[in-house]
Amino acid sequence: MKRTYLGEFEEIVLLTVAVLNDAAYGVAITDELDRQTGRSVSISAVHAALHRLEEKGMLKSHMGDATAERGGRRKRLFTVTALGSRALHDIRAMRDQLWNSISPNALPAISL
Amino acid sequence: MRTLRTSGPTEAFQPQPPRWADRLLEWFCAPHLLEEVQGDLYERYRRDVHRMGAKKANQRYSANVLRFIRPFALKRKPTAQRSEQYPSLSLFSTDMIQNYLKIAFRNLARNKAYSAINIIGLSIGLAAAMLIMLYTKDEVSYDRFHAHNPFIYRITSKSVTPAGIVENQQPYTGIFPGPKFQAGVPEIISFVRYQENRKDLKQGNEVKSQTAYFADSSFFSIFSFPLLSGDPKSALKSPKSVVISEELADKNFGTTNALGKILFFKEGDKFEPYTVTGVAKKCPQNSSIKFDVLMPIEVKAEDMADNENWFSVFMNTFVILSPNANLKAVEAKMNQVYVADAQESIKSVAKKFGITNKTVYSLQPFTDMHLSKELPASNGLVDESNPTFSYILSGIALFILLIACINFVNLTVARSLKRAKEIGVRKAVGGARAQLIMQFLGESFLLCFAAFLFAIVLIELALPTFNQLANKALSLSYLFDAKLVAGYIILFIVTSLLSGFYPALVLSGYNPVQTLYSRFNLSGKNYLQKSLVVLQFTLASFLIIASLTIYSQFNYLTSKDLGYDDKNLVVIDKSNLKRSEVKLLKEELLKDQNILDVAPKNGGFWGTVAKINGETQLSFAYETVNETYLPLFKIPVLKGRNFSTAFPSDSSQSVLVNETFVKKAGWKNPLGQVVDFWFKNEKYHVIGVVKDHHFASLSQEIKPQLFTMKAANEYGKAFIKIKPNTETASLQHIEKVFKKLFPLNPYSYKFMDQENLKRYESEAKWKQMMLFGAILTIFISCIGLFGLATLSAERRTKEIGIRKVLGASVPSIVQLLSTDFLKLVSISFIFAFPAAWYAMDEWLKNYPYRVNMSVWVFLVTAFIAISIAFLTVSWQSLRAAMINPVASLRSE
Repeated sequence: MKRTYLGEFEEIVLLTVAVLNDAAYGVAITDELDRQTGRSVSISAVHAALHRLEEKGMLKSHMGDATAERGGRRKRLFTVTALGSRALHDIRAMRDQLWNSISPNALPAISL
Repeated sequence: MRTLRTSGPTEAFQPQPPRWADRLLEWFCAPHLLEEVQGDLYERYRRDVHRMGAKKANQRYSANVLRFIRPFALKRKPTAQRSEQYPSLSLFSTDMIQNYLKIAFRNLARNKAYSAINIIGLSIGLAAAMLIMLYTKDEVSYDRFHAHNPFIYRITSKSVTPAGIVENQQPYTGIFPGPKFQAGVPEIISFVRYQENRKDLKQGNEVKSQTAYFADSSFFSIFSFPLLSGDPKSALKSPKSVVISEELADKNFGTTNALGKILFFKEGDKFEPYTVTGVAKKCPQNSSIKFDVLMPIEVKAEDMADNENWFSVFMNTFVILSPNANLKAVEAKMNQVYVADAQESIKSVAKKFGITNKTVYSLQPFTDMHLSKELPASNGLVDESNPTFSYILSGIALFILLIACINFVNLTVARSLKRAKEIGVRKAVGGARAQLIMQFLGESFLLCFAAFLFAIVLIELALPTFNQLANKALSLSYLFDAKLVAGYIILFIVTSLLSGFYPALVLSGYNPVQTLYSRFNLSGKNYLQKSLVVLQFTLASFLIIASLTIYSQFNYLTSKDLGYDDKNLVVIDKSNLKRSEVKLLKEELLKDQNILDVAPKNGGFWGTVAKINGETQLSFAYETVNETYLPLFKIPVLKGRNFSTAFPSDSSQSVLVNETFVKKAGWKNPLGQVVDFWFKNEKYHVIGVVKDHHFASLSQEIKPQLFTMKAANEYGKAFIKIKPNTETASLQHIEKVFKKLFPLNPYSYKFMDQENLKRYESEAKWKQMMLFGAILTIFISCIGLFGLATLSAERRTKEIGIRKVLGASVPSIVQLLSTDFLKLVSISFIFAFPAAWYAMDEWLKNYPYRVNMSVWVFLVTAFIAISIAFLTVSWQSLRAAMINPVASLRSE
């Protein structure tokens, strides 16, 4: 199977798009990332990642509505493609497989 | 609140992100990404403002923008894809250019009158400017064709008073400076002396007086005059050799292959053979040196030995300096050589003539001579020119061009009313302002191009007349010169921009909603158009006044009473005319009853200096005449008596002087006063005072004049008074007698009154130039006015219809339409009159005898300008006023 490489940040952005479902666009994604992961990322970094993901065919986009606070400019709304979904599932399956393969006492215990 | 910006009513008091950051983003961000990126940044900005205030938000906005400078945001999409979404704003799309051209031609074709006015006006203006460029190029190109060019200089000198003031400058030199400076100054590589002379040349049985030039053998190595045949190095080496022009060779031998052939020139009493050692190509038109006959200069050994010849000055000397020579150093060395060599004669001359001034030699670049006022190209050098002439001509040409451009601007703006709809539609369907500017500039280029082509035709037509006026031999082929062509192209572009830029800016600025929605009111007051019309007529009236003044001054100069009678007077030249020959000539001539009297005089103008009242020196014109001279010219003797044969001692003891002489000498009782020619040890008594008369040109003041009969002085010409209307018979008789008595002398005659007129040739030229200028400016101004009047009448068609329906008469409507324009013309007088008065007053100051600036000149100018303007405008007004109101009111 041809594996598409996804960087860690890309993966997170892709997941966030999925989280936001129909309302995924630059600022919303940035805010969601901030909220969910506590990572403060710049808008440009998010845009760059979105751009790359779209080039890889894992995201598709269309222009949404304009709002006043955007100075009358429209949003570009992203949704995950089948390929993107597949990639996410693959990664998850791979991780699950790895987790399952770890013997119960192999990892040092951490107190939560 | 510094960061608060407002950009529209809805956004009032909303903080806006920093403009520079926004601009920066718009500039670098790929267009297809800009909308989302900018939208996101704005959204974030709003939140930031809300959370942490405008200042902090601004900082963050800028930082965010800067973070976007990364490859994905900078990378543009391929053009083809982009243009689907964002149509190209290219100014040079072929489709649009085709459309522009089509519209431009349709517009030109539909408004034939305006197109014609613009093209004719512009082409006249361009033709004038191009002609002047041609003229100026020719002027500044003088003498530049010589291969040694930057290193050729003329030796000049100035006379400096003991106080260090330069009293006069002298472009000429004698026989010494050339050879002596070359010997003493190593930087002077070579020199050539060049002197004009006249030689009598035998052509078959005819004797012709021929201008011949004497030059050193280095002539052809210094100047680049190619020889068709002969060796340039040795052509002027041996005596009795002569270099002739191809023209003269052709005339004398019927062929330019004349090497080794013989020409006979008069030497003393007989004709001597000269061998042709070279045939030169015709001298270029723009050369100060033009020769037909060139001979080796002969300087006698005894002349070279006479040290006082440092002070005998009569020809031009040119030198070549070595390329790295320092001009100042060379001049200093020249003066050292002079002071060392001329030491004794400086002393002896100072003692003999009481001269205290010092002579200082300097060098003048060869190429500076032609346009130099102080050190002109004369004394054998030709075509000396006055640079003011070029300035004035350029001024007139610029005036004309400016007026033509004003027409263009005015008419285009005025006509734009009709095109307002087109502009509105273009804007509504997405035409950018830059595109509209391009369109209108393009149209102006198109018109200018047509005018340009037409101008070339005009130049071709006008060149013969212009050459005659300007005393030039210019031709259109001179145009094919890289610099001049570049100049014309620049002129073309500047004219197009000048005439197209303002209309393009104004027209492209129209608001599409206004132009499409309702009647578009063309910028109410129209101050620019009005002031341009005023400017046009100011220039035109200025030129009318100038030409009227020059005309009346010229009339004054040519019709003023000179103080003597120059009618029916024939002048013939005969060098070295002896007393006995005069007697013989008179006897022979008087045999014909048509000949009334004969009087001899010295040839050319003589001047000298003498002491009066003991020690005072006075310089004056020195006229050698006999007792018949004054009666022949009907010049009255006011005090004392004329020379008379009854007093044999008159020729050795007596002189006559004119009134100015008496005034300058300060004599109360002039008769019997002594004039002391101390350097010759001769004393004369004044026996009579002659009434002042204009023996020189009227552009000079009457100078002191002294008449003598001194036997040692040669006569050079004879004045022959003939009966009126007997010119043909008298001239035949005079020629017969002259050829019989002096078969070896060339015969030529002149009429005195015609010669007097010739002195005012330059004024006559000024007059014609000004007249042409005035006519052209008036013409172009008026066609412009005509166009404006037409447009204004058209615009007011409805108004006129309503007025007529309500009972207005045709004259009152004509008046209504004309007064606006006539007012402008009258305003122009306010500017034109003082300027013209000042300028012409300054010009008249050049003339000691002149007309006064009279009120009449201004009244006539005002009358001419107003009546021409009125005729122009009223034609259109009348037409508009005559239209049946039914027709005009129905038109919509």
